[in-house]
Amino acid sequence: MFIGAIGCEPLQLKRVNLEHSRTIDVYKRNGGYDAIKKVLGGMSPDDVINEVKKSALRGRGGAGFPTGMKWSFVPKDSPKPKYVVCNADESEPGTFKDRYLMERDPHMLIEGMLIAAYALGARINYIYTRGEYRYLINIMDAALDEARSAGLLGEKILGTDFSCDIYTHTGAGAYICGEETALLSSLEGLRGHPRMKPPFPAVSGLYACPTVVNNVETLTAVPDIIKMGGEAYQKLGTEKSGGTKVWSVSGHVNRPGVYELPMGYVDMEKFIMEDCQGILNDKKLKAVIPGGSSVYIMPAADITGKGVRMDYEGLVAAGSMVGSGGFIVMDETVDVFESTKNLIEFYKHESCGWCTPCREGTDWLVKVFKRIARGEGRPEDAQLILDLCDNIEGKSFCPLGDAAAWPIQSAIKKFPEDFKRHLAPLTMQTETEVAAD
Amino acid sequence: MSTELIKVTINGKEFQVAKGARLIDVCREQGFNIPSFCYYADLALQASCRMCLVRIEKMPKLQTSCTITCTDGMVVTTESEEIEKAQRAMVEFLLANHPLDCPICDRGGECELQEMAFDWGNLEERFTERKNAQPEKYLSPIVANDPQRCILCKRCTRVCDEWMGEDAIEAGGRGANTVIGTFGGWLNCSECGNCIEVCPTGTLLDATYRHQARPWELQQTVTTCTYCSDGCQESVGSRAGEVMRVVARDRYVNGHNGEFLCIKGRFAHTFINDETRLRTPMIRYKKGGKLIPATWDEAVKFATRGLDKAAEAHGANSIAVVGSPRLTNESLYALKKFATELVGTENYTATDAFSLSPFFQNLGGQIATHRDIRHAKTIVLIGGEPEELQPFAGKQIRQAVRNGGAKLVIINSTPIRLKERATQFLHINPETEDAAVLAIFNQAHNELAARKMGVQETELIELRRTITNTEGDVVIMFGGEVSAEAQSLLAQMPYLFNKEGRRALLHPLPLYNNSVGATDMGLMYGKLGATEMLDAAGDSVHAMYVAGSFLPQHLTGREDSLGKLDFLVVQELFETETTRFADVVFPAASFAEADGTFTNSGGLVQRVRQTIPPVNQSKQDWVITAQLSKELGVDFGFQMSASAVFGEIAERIPAYAGLRYPLLKDETNPVQVKHATIEQRDLSQESEAIRARVEKMSDTATKINATPPVGHELFKIGTLTDKLPQMHLLASGNPKPPTLAVSPLYQITVDAGMKREAIGGD
Ligand SMILES: Cc1cc2nc3c(=O)[nH]c(=O)nc-3n(C[C@H](O)[C@H](O)[C@H](O)COP(=O)(O)O)c2cc1C
Ligand code: SF4
Ligand code: SF4
Ligand code: FES
Repeated sequence: MFIGAIGCEPLQLKRVNLEHSRTIDVYKRNGGYDAIKKVLGGMSPDDVINEVKKSALRGRGGAGFPTGMKWSFVPKDSPKPKYVVCNADESEPGTFKDRYLMERDPHMLIEGMLIAAYALGARINYIYTRGEYRYLINIMDAALDEARSAGLLGEKILGTDFSCDIYTHTGAGAYICGEETALLSSLEGLRGHPRMKPPFPAVSGLYACPTVVNNVETLTAVPDIIKMGGEAYQKLGTEKSGGTKVWSVSGHVNRPGVYELPMGYVDMEKFIMEDCQGILNDKKLKAVIPGGSSVYIMPAADITGKGVRMDYEGLVAAGSMVGSGGFIVMDETVDVFESTKNLIEFYKHESCGWCTPCREGTDWLVKVFKRIARGEGRPEDAQLILDLCDNIEGKSFCPLGDAAAWPIQSAIKKFPEDFKRHLAPLTMQTETEVAAD
Repeated sequence: MSTELIKVTINGKEFQVAKGARLIDVCREQGFNIPSFCYYADLALQASCRMCLVRIEKMPKLQTSCTITCTDGMVVTTESEEIEKAQRAMVEFLLANHPLDCPICDRGGECELQEMAFDWGNLEERFTERKNAQPEKYLSPIVANDPQRCILCKRCTRVCDEWMGEDAIEAGGRGANTVIGTFGGWLNCSECGNCIEVCPTGTLLDATYRHQARPWELQQTVTTCTYCSDGCQESVGSRAGEVMRVVARDRYVNGHNGEFLCIKGRFAHTFINDETRLRTPMIRYKKGGKLIPATWDEAVKFATRGLDKAAEAHGANSIAVVGSPRLTNESLYALKKFATELVGTENYTATDAFSLSPFFQNLGGQIATHRDIRHAKTIVLIGGEPEELQPFAGKQIRQAVRNGGAKLVIINSTPIRLKERATQFLHINPETEDAAVLAIFNQAHNELAARKMGVQETELIELRRTITNTEGDVVIMFGGEVSAEAQSLLAQMPYLFNKEGRRALLHPLPLYNNSVGATDMGLMYGKLGATEMLDAAGDSVHAMYVAGSFLPQHLTGREDSLGKLDFLVVQELFETETTRFADVVFPAASFAEADGTFTNSGGLVQRVRQTIPPVNQSKQDWVITAQLSKELGVDFGFQMSASAVFGEIAERIPAYAGLRYPLLKDETNPVQVKHATIEQRDLSQESEAIRARVEKMSDTATKINATPPVGHELFKIGTLTDKLPQMHLLASGNPKPPTLAVSPLYQITVDAGMKREAIGGD
């Protein structure tokens, strides 16, 4: 597996390949904790927020919300405590970047959180990881202990008036707990159900106090923004998508891995064919899901020769989204009906059950997909599936419902023949299958 | 909500609405039908059913109107093709895994899901897959559960938490596997059944009514509950003279309690048609002999002769007249009239646990209704245990704290469960409630009171500060632990704490449905109290006329007192310890067979309506009294109509002046009687008496530290609750049955008697 940067100097992945990269010594020797020193050495909280605004950093958890703007929503005059919560739930299928960032460079996350906590006036902060990442908690806890011993956490950090602590917490293994409000409920010890928005967490989050929830990669970008300045960071990427982005590449490529690319990298075809060293076994590219399972699937025809630019605007123009950067490559052997069935089973399993359309809709969809897979598909099923998706999309309580509908809608639209094949009468299907064999 | 008006446009029409109003409410008020399941007034917002979708200009996607607060200039569409498609889709989703077998469901015919399916359902079912099936089961002796009908609106879990403070049911599992369930598979709660009531589907069901009747066969009669002083409005469903169930569902009744009822009101109605109800009048011709059935004529004659004889031999005062505080105002009034105008005795009383007469005689302010409690800003609860004894008051307190941000100060010698919601809990030494009242009345006594109560003086200072810092209503509630003198001080407290922008309201916590009415009818102002009367039996009291029975607490240590009487006339539903010595027993009608009124602890006078004809040969209590008077030569002129009796009450009792049944018709707008208030008066005598008593209290009492378990009062077996077999299971600790799929009544034998009841009396 490859871990490294292409097309830019590594920022996020600067230390991941060093020996003992998890230790505070290696981190410090390679520029670590310089940013917090700079911050505490004379930057005001507003200065920090301004640099982050200038950097055009957008949330890497999936929604791509401008981070500086999110931070500025926290009411400064609120008498309540404020919290920074790191979203390390990373459950989006195809996404595994946060895991490597934390496993190999935990101090970068600590430093990022310290800076965020300073900017927002937060005293107590949490890292919430998914239940399956239990081992990461041990790594994070060890790093937190190191930082505490080094006077970088706790009372009067580096001899200043700034005091701050960070605690780890694991979920019990639910995708929905990656959604920021469900995460906060879970962190409070409640059932992991999303909460109503508004109020947004920035106003009323953890224990009804102002809270900023950021993805791991968002927070680990912050130390470099401080060190090089917001503007310089932005310039690494494009005007609206500043800096670099870490992609988790999986599927039918010769070199899967974790790739750091500058935002606006051109183009996707080159990335797959050269950087990821092409499709496995010299097969042909069939499709890419570029941003984790919840985004639209892209057929090869929308990629090959299209010069797709890899940033927020570029991917929207190309008919998909950056999402969480879970880059799933599929070759010509993939039956998109099957891969979509796999996804909808995931969403059904992970639907929290709070709202009607997502709970009942995903259950129904799975039953239809399974029936079709048993060879009992009916011609009208495609229409039924699309209608069910339409009845979920835009009507659910939280975005998980939409996330379940979108991949199906795009799969049927872009790969109708894969669906038709299953919906055709049984005899015809056997014929095609025989022909395919 | 502010009074400022803003403009919203709904379906092209403009409306002025209060700023901050909820869109779904506004739409409905203006006559636009918005379907909903999860929205329920005064419960936390859920926004999960997605039925109430509307389109709002400038907002992406359809919006749930239950979560939207109106803003100025908002433009809303509630009816369009897009919206209808979405709403039909939600119903289709909700019905996908539903078994669609309404004909075998208890809720069929009064089910919100069924109704929604009529309005928003599709003719054809597109769902042809296998349904997720789950077995039916019991969650407790009185809550049956059919999980596959659940739409996960979570009304049940929210009332359990927010109303009851129990949190006994919650969702378990995830996604399509989510089920409403309990901790440990069995409900160990106060068994109020409110989850059943608010459930819009046939998921949570009344296990005592399981497969007993279809709702359309039932005659629904709105009446007032016969148990505690909360005076909940309920709808009694009867069929062919038999009471089948009691509900508070808002499609049938809309009282001050909303859809709230407690276990007793909702389930313990089986006494009404119980086979042990007295059938005919009975006469004991010889002391120590048997009660022998007689005709009404014979029994009335026998009774009047006996009473006459006693009066002749020992004078009018040797006859005592006693009424139960469960009777209607009409019956209690008739008794009082019988005692004072016909017999001319000074000895009359009601068999209440404690008397509120000192309170009403010194009343210096307004009585708080239950609605006032809900909207209070500060609640001071002295003694009492409303969560067990006045469950609706308990619910109002919880909601005042949780939804209204009220401060709750509890002064109690027992750490009652309600203290979990308290802002301040003064854990006092046993029997020092009077000291607390004294200190609230006059802070000069703080030091003494704190010492005797075993609390810090600062706690009393904090309590006073909470009261004097309140903007809005302070409600002072008290139980039977406070003495007569302390009641007088409490009654005058409005004079101490009323201020511009603050009202001090009072709310007594008596135990019976008509304790307040019994006081109003004057029955509590006789010479002797219930126990004194028993002590005087055979001495100065020689005959008694009792409507109802003495309480066990009156009779303990006086078991044979009634035997010392020359003559005893009793009106009852059942044979009791009081009828044991009766010379004549008349079968009396229960509240379900009576017309009349009850006055609750908030002073609301509410209608009791006949739901079934009198069982067996029973008659309403006031009818029996009137018959006796007639036999004694005095016609009370009641024309055999309860409303005529009430007319006389309104004429003679000032607090009820001007009232008539038609004015009490609408249970949605209950009428509060106008209890007379007196001027601020000098209470130095009373406070001195209390101070002297407090001085004598011990300095070294031991505190009670155990929180009493749920149901320790609620599940107590009384004459009425005894007739509900399930109550015996609860009273015996609510054991979890071996299998949840079969009714616990068939599985658990509490004792031989229970077994017989459970399997149908063979
Ligand atoms: C169903 C669902 C799952 C999500 N899972 C994650 C996740 O695993 N990790 C994450 O960082 N954000 C996740 N998000 C996004 C978060 O809600 C939130 O937008 C994000 O944590 C904000 O951080 P950012 O601004 O740094 O991206 C998820 C959102 C949804 C709707
Ligand atoms: S869309 Fe609804 S059911 Fe699905 S995860 Fe969100 S809140 Fe839960
Ligand atoms: S049991 Fe009834 S009230 Fe509770 S969630 Fe289900 S449908 Fe709603
Ligand atoms: S009533 Fe609005 S979502 Fe249920």
